[in-house]
Amino acid sequence: MGMTPRRYRRRLPVLPYVLLSPVVLVTLVIIFYPMLQAIWMSVHDYIIWKPQDIRFNAFAHFVTAFSDEVFWISLWHTAIWISLTVSLQLALGFAAAILLNQDFPWRALARGLIIIPWALPSVVIGLMWSWVYDPNYGVLNDFMLRFGLLTQSMPWLANPDTALYAIILTLTWQGFPFFAVMILAGLQAIPSSYYEAAELDGASRRQQFWHITLPSLKGVLVTAVLLRIIWVANSIDVIYVMTSGGPGYATHTLPLYAFLRTYTAMDFGYGSALAVLFTLMLLGVVVLYLRRAGRDVT
Amino acid sequence: MRRLIASVFAGALLFAGFGANAEEEVRFWFHFDNPDNPISQLVSKFEQENPGIKIKAENIPWNTYYEKLNTSIIGGNPPDVAMVKLFALPQLLEMGALHPLDDHIASWDGKADIQDELWELNRASDGKNYYMPLQYVVLYLYYRKDLFDQHGVKVPTNREEFLEAAKKLTLDTNNDGRIDVYGFGMRGAKGGHDHWATFVLPNGADINKEGGLLTPEAIAANQWFIDLHRVHKVFPPSAPNDGFKEITGGFKAGRTAMTIHHIGSSAGMVEALGDKVSAAPVPQGTQGAWTAFGDESTAVFSASKVKDAAFKWVAFLSSGDNNVEFNKASGQLPVTKSGSAEWTLHEKRFVDATVASLPFARTLPAKPQTSEFVGSSWPTNMQRALLGEISAEEMLRNIDNLYFK
Repeated sequence: MGMTPRRYRRRLPVLPYVLLSPVVLVTLVIIFYPMLQAIWMSVHDYIIWKPQDIRFNAFAHFVTAFSDEVFWISLWHTAIWISLTVSLQLALGFAAAILLNQDFPWRALARGLIIIPWALPSVVIGLMWSWVYDPNYGVLNDFMLRFGLLTQSMPWLANPDTALYAIILTLTWQGFPFFAVMILAGLQAIPSSYYEAAELDGASRRQQFWHITLPSLKGVLVTAVLLRIIWVANSIDVIYVMTSGGPGYATHTLPLYAFLRTYTAMDFGYGSALAVLFTLMLLGVVVLYLRRAGRDVT
Repeated sequence: MRRLIASVFAGALLFAGFGANAEEEVRFWFHFDNPDNPISQLVSKFEQENPGIKIKAENIPWNTYYEKLNTSIIGGNPPDVAMVKLFALPQLLEMGALHPLDDHIASWDGKADIQDELWELNRASDGKNYYMPLQYVVLYLYYRKDLFDQHGVKVPTNREEFLEAAKKLTLDTNNDGRIDVYGFGMRGAKGGHDHWATFVLPNGADINKEGGLLTPEAIAANQWFIDLHRVHKVFPPSAPNDGFKEITGGFKAGRTAMTIHHIGSSAGMVEALGDKVSAAPVPQGTQGAWTAFGDESTAVFSASKVKDAAFKWVAFLSSGDNNVEFNKASGQLPVTKSGSAEWTLHEKRFVDATVASLPFARTLPAKPQTSEFVGSSWPTNMQRALLGEISAEEMLRNIDNLYFK
């Protein structure tokens, strides 16, 4: 009789690991192995069509990167890209959420429709907006010419001063539904008794917004912004479809530059080094997010 | 239990062995924009004529074609046969990926039917032939015959005439103060190096020699080309980002009076513009003319275990009716003499412009760097130069560095 508890005790710690192992194994194979390989390539001369010349070069790629003009241009664009896109998406998403939280006929339909940009594939969005911006047939130029806002049609994507911002606007359009939906869910979780109490105390609508709505949404907002920063930072598909990083370097962001070095120059070593550098920079945001995620669970 | 496993294993081995003996499988990679392509008919015809060989054909999207091909070679699992272009040849050779076809070709009875120039153009730097010609095009000048007649402009044969024509045909047709037609639809995005090369290389610029792009004549020629956009404004303002669909679309829509492309787009041009579109060889430079030879070949990979079967498929695609069928779908020109003789798919004026351009049709340097030149170096530097971010000389220096540093 005394055997059972001891055997039970001995078995117990194994079972969770057995159950976890498939997930851990898959993660190791499809995430950690490529990650290690990228780190390995980043410290080697690794041009794919020169298989005889693959050799260890320590940190030469990293040194090159810091003196590479395009690296700094891309880094600066990445900063603009992330900060503008995420804040515009947040602002637009917030406004949309507040509108959708009002009572109006066909509200359910409007809530469904707002998801559309988020649900479209990025390549479709990229192609669609390239036509919107097209100087010959684009609807944007047509509008602006008709209303006299422009005198000559503007090649939005071929002009280095506007190309990056044109794509940022596209990505804002694509990503704001994510914020709208997250914030809407947050809004609906605020008990209406708070507002009733505030109203009794004579708080204005604005005071209610600042002292009830915003603080209650804080958790949702911070999590959504952190997640969005990581996604927007890494998103290159829309840029690639719309301009491939051009004209010149005007729409190069760091992940796109890494991608172009890797796949058009076939320089896997330098491309990986750029990717590793960018990962290190993003790690700060990732750590912040993981801390929050961990806190939510416990 | 162990015996059971052993016998299952042995059975599997036996089965696999039988499979290999009975049938050889040739994996074939190709890219075809046209989803209505004739590959499956050609495959079944081939399999009927060659019992024992199965073709496993895969259509790989063009945008990532060479990325996939290169990674499959590095990964040790390339296809047996793939469609390939000349610019990729030096890299494929450097990787030791290709199997020389000379012995196979020598004993192939279709050899004499292939156009002679194509063997020459396809020959690798080591003197061997790794590529079997499959289709070809030559770039020429498309122009709007009606606009040329209307404004009394003659078809340009050299740079001066070209500039004059482009200026005269940059028009505000409805007098609203906005330009509606631009002289030349220039391709500033990836793939536009052919436009640039036509106007820069035959003017004292040698891309094959170190410093050959840095001569005063070369820099002046590049400046002349950049000025078409910056000074004379004969390109649409979107030119730095324009790719294939913009230049052909702009020309078809009547937004440009000239552009450079090949016979593959002629059917669409005629559909949109009818008799208003015609073609001529590109304008000459100070030292003759330069136009791009656009090619597509097939190659057998050195890792293939079924090289003889693979060559049979390669030869099949480049002979007689099969090649004609293939090119009817691709819209390019057949590589055989017999196929060209009775070619009726394209209107004569475009075939004539192609044939007249063959004597000065060239390819880019047969060097591994050419892939990067085409894929990123040229477009980035050209765009920056067109936007005034770098000078004509800096652009050429960057290209010289790519090839020789």
